[in-house]
Amino acid sequence: MTMFKNGGGRSAIVWCIFVLPLPAFLILAYFLPMMGILSWSFTDPVPGLQNYARIAEDQTIHLLFWRTLRICLTTAVISVLVAYLLAYHWILGPPARQRLIEMAILIPFWISVLVRAFGWLILLRPKGLINENLIALGIITEPLAMVRNEIGVVIGMVHFMVPMAVFPIAAVMRQIDPRVIQAARGLGAGSVRRFIEVFLPLSMPGVIGALFIVAVFSLGFFITPAILGGGRVVMVAENIFVRMLQTANWGLGSALAAVLLVLVVGLIWILSRIVRLDRLL
Amino acid sequence: MQKIMKDELVDILRHRFERGELGRRDVLMGLGLLGVTSLAFSPGPLMAQSKQLVLATWGGDTTKAIEEILGNPFGEVSGLSVVSDTSGPSEGAVQVQASSGSISWDVMLLEYFSSITLGKKGLLGEIEYDIVDRDKVFGGQAHQWGVASHFNSYVMVYDAAHFGDNPPKTWADFFDVEKFPGKHTFPKWMMGILEAALLADGVQPDGLYPLDLDRAFAKVEKLMPHVVSVWGTGAESQQLMLDGDAVMGMLWGTRAILVDRDSEQEVTFTFQDGFLAPDAWGYMKDNPAGAKAANEFIAFTQDPARQVELLRLAGYGPANPEASSLVPDDLKRIDCNQPENRHLMHDLDMEWYSENYATALDRFTALIAS
Repeated sequence: MTMFKNGGGRSAIVWCIFVLPLPAFLILAYFLPMMGILSWSFTDPVPGLQNYARIAEDQTIHLLFWRTLRICLTTAVISVLVAYLLAYHWILGPPARQRLIEMAILIPFWISVLVRAFGWLILLRPKGLINENLIALGIITEPLAMVRNEIGVVIGMVHFMVPMAVFPIAAVMRQIDPRVIQAARGLGAGSVRRFIEVFLPLSMPGVIGALFIVAVFSLGFFITPAILGGGRVVMVAENIFVRMLQTANWGLGSALAAVLLVLVVGLIWILSRIVRLDRLL
Repeated sequence: MQKIMKDELVDILRHRFERGELGRRDVLMGLGLLGVTSLAFSPGPLMAQSKQLVLATWGGDTTKAIEEILGNPFGEVSGLSVVSDTSGPSEGAVQVQASSGSISWDVMLLEYFSSITLGKKGLLGEIEYDIVDRDKVFGGQAHQWGVASHFNSYVMVYDAAHFGDNPPKTWADFFDVEKFPGKHTFPKWMMGILEAALLADGVQPDGLYPLDLDRAFAKVEKLMPHVVSVWGTGAESQQLMLDGDAVMGMLWGTRAILVDRDSEQEVTFTFQDGFLAPDAWGYMKDNPAGAKAANEFIAFTQDPARQVELLRLAGYGPANPEASSLVPDDLKRIDCNQPENRHLMHDLDMEWYSENYATALDRFTALIAS
């Protein structure tokens, strides 16, 4: 300990030695190459802002972004609703239920996103397990279009995102002082009122954090929409891929990536204004 | 230090490196001490890469077939070790590699129109037609930077069990959802389906190009409510047809013949009004193995007997007309380049795609998006 008490200078040096390699690595291996790619948006095919002008004007690109945002928001809201219920029972339920929920969260978390997407395709497609059984039971006559459209994409993304939403919500719920709830009970509040007026407001930072985290993650989704969207639910990330590799339009591709990056940074900035980020961990 | 002395030391370093006594780092350090840049050392026999020929392909079973039928035998003849890079030489990927300055691919299996586009951009080496034979390709499909490697096709696949005695026969039938109701599928990469739409709309085959995009898009747009999925990969297209999620589709011929075989003709295909689309061999400008090796490999692939083997294993129609008569009877049905199949079909205009693909695909992607 003496080393740290010897004054700020020395400890700062030690601190730097341990911490610096990570930012240095990120700058060299991630930030600089990324800047290189983003610079194409101003230089390819000719120097100027024409790629951004195109994004500002092109209706089909607007549709692309609206579709992406719509899917991300829908996914975020549904994921957070499901995750709230799971987190509630995970934190407050009896031990047996806690273990069950842990498994239900963690096992899908470990399965590859590709496998999960194909799993949903097999379940949901027109001649898949669910439709065949519903038809056999006489509940429906025509198969439901549950996949190869936006519904399918949202189902697949929610499945992927629920664990991401459970963790911040549960982290906040865990920090709620049980004595506050007991006090509410002591003051005569029923179980519904205790939840709505005490527990829910106290857990809101987790809910808001989870909404943002899921929305930000969803913005970059690529594989799930490509498989479950039947090629027709094109999101920004996939479109960037096509422009970069298929049609070699690097300027527009990197301009789209820049816009996406700004969206992500913007969302995280707003989140950091509303919620203390360290409480979500 | 005297020049001779220096050369002597460099030689010793090189020798010991080759015998494995010195590591790469030791050599570089030794060179540094001698004031010799490592550039002086490459691309001599020291660099292992120079004895390699890297084939850039697209992975899967076709890569295995290409290795087995072309890569390994060429390695034995030439003394080079032929290795595959299966990350896919798409236009963007080739451009990345060319602009990075560290070129690792030699010969690439390219989209034919990409070979034209990339060649015009100055990224590909020129085909040396004293080594490669220009006459050994159907329809003169060889240009300054690319040679047809094999032919694939875009054909109509339909659920024969579903349609019974009255199957769809033409692209007009394909687009006629009143007469032939059911879910459809086609490639999301656009090639082929625009031509099909125009034929269905009454355009004559010889009047297809330049494509009337507005007319083709309007026709495709009307079909969209009946499209279950636009496929991105061959495997996906196969699955859609085999599982019965679609009753008809436009598929690559290579996949159509697999669907036909796996379903025992319950889901089958026709070459009628299909579209012929070659892929192309091309090689990177300043490729590590050198232009001569690349051209020799391309010439090697023109061997008719090997092309027939490629038809057997990968379903690729031989590009060399001499191969047609060598195709055994049981494979003739699946060979798009057999004269009786070829005359049913039309050529995609690769020059048109080289000029217009990127802009047209943008509009097409917007059209098919839900």
